[in-house]
Amino acid sequence: MLVQVVTLFVAGLGIYAAIGILFAFYFVSLGCGKLDPMAKQGTIGFRILIFPASAALWPLLALRLARGRQTPPIERNAHRDAAGGGA
Amino acid sequence: MSLNYQAVGWNRQKKIYDRTMVLGVLLYLGLFIGITATTNPTATAETLMIRGFGTAALLLLHIILAIGPLARLNPMFLPLLYNRRHMGVTMFVLALAHAVLAMIQFHAGGDQFPLISLFTSNGDYSSVSQFPFQPLGFFALAILFFMAATSHDFWLANLTAPTWKRLHMMVYVAYFLLIGHVVLGVLQAESSPFLAGVLGLGAAVVWGLHLTSAWLEKADDEEGNGEGFVDVCAVEDIPEKRARIVCLSGERVAVFKYDGKVSAISNVCRHQNGPLGEGKVVDGCVTCPWHGYQYRPHDGASPPPFTEKVPTFRVKVSEGRVLVDPRPLAPGTAVEPAVIAENAAEELSS
Ligand code: FES
Repeated sequence: MLVQVVTLFVAGLGIYAAIGILFAFYFVSLGCGKLDPMAKQGTIGFRILIFPASAALWPLLALRLARGRQTPPIERNAHRDAAGGGA
Repeated sequence: MSLNYQAVGWNRQKKIYDRTMVLGVLLYLGLFIGITATTNPTATAETLMIRGFGTAALLLLHIILAIGPLARLNPMFLPLLYNRRHMGVTMFVLALAHAVLAMIQFHAGGDQFPLISLFTSNGDYSSVSQFPFQPLGFFALAILFFMAATSHDFWLANLTAPTWKRLHMMVYVAYFLLIGHVVLGVLQAESSPFLAGVLGLGAAVVWGLHLTSAWLEKADDEEGNGEGFVDVCAVEDIPEKRARIVCLSGERVAVFKYDGKVSAISNVCRHQNGPLGEGKVVDGCVTCPWHGYQYRPHDGASPPPFTEKVPTFRVKVSEGRVLVDPRPLAPGTAVEPAVIAENAAEELSS
């Protein structure tokens, strides 16, 4: 029983990672510039460094790309909420 | 302000920091392996390396966890904080080396796939003292991987700081998993009171520092949410061209003193939530300590052509005390700086 559960878990992990790695190749070359303008001119070193998390977070990033996000989300905090307005 | 992402934003300080850290790690590994090899001549090279990498990662984790509260207790430790992410990545690399070697040593070459063998070779999940310790290490390593992999500024911006911080708070979960991993591993292999003592001491230092800094910080925070100005500190409590940070209206406010004046802006940098109050006034602008975004202290706006703005606050100086209206004004609203009275300024400079 334990072996079956673990085998399923490990297989799931393997599939998730395989899709993630394929996605990450696309994301670090083209996708990241679509989500964040500062990434368009990013250096090769930058692209290598964001590769692992691009593979690990692929469902989230794919969703953002599908929604057509073009800038990183603007953060809210208590002062901005209380004062309203402004970049 | 606009910057393109680079691999690593190294400057002189960060290079010195990284070099010192790498030298420290190598020195530790050399000493650990040397001492263990002489005191325990039967230990194989693989065992020495597995233990060396594992203990080095655990030691770095303790240092990383201690830096936050230390920097809050004494600004002298702030430089350690700015490059803490590099320390985190180094810790992950050490933990990964430990894990890979342990997998090869204990789980490769059998009939089972190594990762399956890791979870099933000891199936005693209902026991406390014999509980399999290796899966705990696996899950801790997974958390450390997510933290190391998302340590680049790109992730801070794109996951947004609150999500990023939540993810990085998982370090405490990793810490408890690792303590379990080590305690069970050590207990099941040998019973060394020395190691248990060292672990206990490490935990006492980390938690003692966290509790002390949280307690002192709570005592320091002025809670003003209502109407009217709040007395935040004495003028002389703020060093020239620097700020004092206070908590008002649910967030931190940076109260700066510069050129005989006092201004207050929200402490949160528009770029990636860097702590503006830990920066300095450079060329008349508050300069964020993280990546150097600048804001004019009187209106919280970046100098043209840049367009970033942060909320501002009304300020008064009266009888040597600094008073701040806790209601934030819209980002970029100009506020007349409070002038420090002549005699008070003279007193300060004498
Ligand atoms: S957080 Fe990047 S400049 Fe302030």
